[in-house]
Amino acid sequence: MSFTVESLSPQTVVIRMGEALDFRNADEFKSTFQSEIDDGSVNFILDFSDTAVLDSTGLGSIFSLYRQISPDDGQVAFADVSRPVQVVVQLTRTYKVFRQFPTVDAAHDALA
Amino acid sequence: MAEHAILIVEDDSTVRELLKYRLNKKYDVATAANGEEALEQIERKTPHLIISDIMMPKMDGFALQSKLQDDKNTRVIPFIFLTARADEPTRRQGARTGVDDYITKPFDMEQLLTRIERLLERMQVFQTQLDAEIGRDFSNRLLPKSLPEVDGYEIFFHSEAREQGGGDLFDWTKADDGSYFITIGDVMGKGIRAKFYAFSFLSYVRATLHTLLQESTSPAGILARINEMLLTDEVLEETFASFLLFNWDPSTHTVTYANAGHCRPVIITPDGASVAEHSDLILGLEGNASFKDETIHLDPGTALMAYTDGLLEHPVNGHDVLGEAGILDIAAQTLDADKPIDALLNEALSRGNDDSFHDDVLVYWMQRNT
Repeated sequence: MSFTVESLSPQTVVIRMGEALDFRNADEFKSTFQSEIDDGSVNFILDFSDTAVLDSTGLGSIFSLYRQISPDDGQVAFADVSRPVQVVVQLTRTYKVFRQFPTVDAAHDALA
Repeated sequence: MAEHAILIVEDDSTVRELLKYRLNKKYDVATAANGEEALEQIERKTPHLIISDIMMPKMDGFALQSKLQDDKNTRVIPFIFLTARADEPTRRQGARTGVDDYITKPFDMEQLLTRIERLLERMQVFQTQLDAEIGRDFSNRLLPKSLPEVDGYEIFFHSEAREQGGGDLFDWTKADDGSYFITIGDVMGKGIRAKFYAFSFLSYVRATLHTLLQESTSPAGILARINEMLLTDEVLEETFASFLLFNWDPSTHTVTYANAGHCRPVIITPDGASVAEHSDLILGLEGNASFKDETIHLDPGTALMAYTDGLLEHPVNGHDVLGEAGILDIAAQTLDADKPIDALLNEALSRGNDDSFHDDVLVYWMQRNT
């Protein structure tokens, strides 16, 4: 598994996104967050500190996550966003939907 | 990584377990002790390949094989018979039914593994070729058959589809008031799935445009409507698209656009290139998203260019991508070219290490001459 998950509270998890989220591993990311949703998580902090690649398929998989948890007032927060990810977020204007935080801790404080 | 599912059908539990043990390392293995059990397994999950014994209780290998031949969904599954030497006469009988391979027991495991690999590889090649064919077909259908022709303007278009490409789309239509609607978008995802969605999506957008144009010519209003559709329509659920919609009026030389998270269009004048700044959220994400119209005036000698992210994300210098800054830089130099898009793409390629693009690349260029 290229995604590691850490549970911060019964409803909040951190997923470390690793080096890339793209068409090659988007399905794997989907099954990763799906099992967390099934376990009751609604808040997702995505740690992008090491991420060099985020393509449109990868971003689409994050959208799928958001579409599932937003009806339950869940949130998707981006933490420690690397520059390549920032470019994609700016281009697609998705910062309007995904709040960004400098660190995972800051994101956790805000979502708590 | 277990990508291929193999079904082993064998009544001798020792042979069955041995095969399972060896194949498990590379494949997703299921087992059955006779033909009947095999059919139940296949019903549950269609394997990519079947290895079957011949002599088995209840339903033997021949009966299983001929049963599978009756169904168009199962007849194409590669089928290998494992036969005891004593079965040789029956094996020759089986040769009539179109089995892919025979292995005689006691068998050489390495030989079996090689044969399995070869059969699966062959299937894979066919599948890839078919995917490529369907992908090309969709890509071609997504291409315009013609372009608008307006005095004083020149229009260029380029679209190049890659197998691993995504769902780039382009369309244009002329409204009753003489203005044109030009659509450029990218449905998220890769491969055939994205192309299929792009195709369905484009059909919907065409229909929506024709209906909405009776009431309003606001690109932002149309984007809001398409966004609602993506969030409520079950077929297009989980479809996200970046989208750029121009309403170009040649009589006033204006272009009114709305941008839903798509690569920002570029305005090129003899003084340089700049981006058309405004853009809103990508489509399909949020129900109450709002969109805004912006208007650009095109002076003589000015061009407007729109493109998809295959160009933006083209790698240059090994680790970096061309990016918006790179595109602005190149676009400014290509205004006077006879074929501005060709000049633009050639320059983009010359800045990278590859002689072709990896992703789909779509570029639209319109230029006011007089």
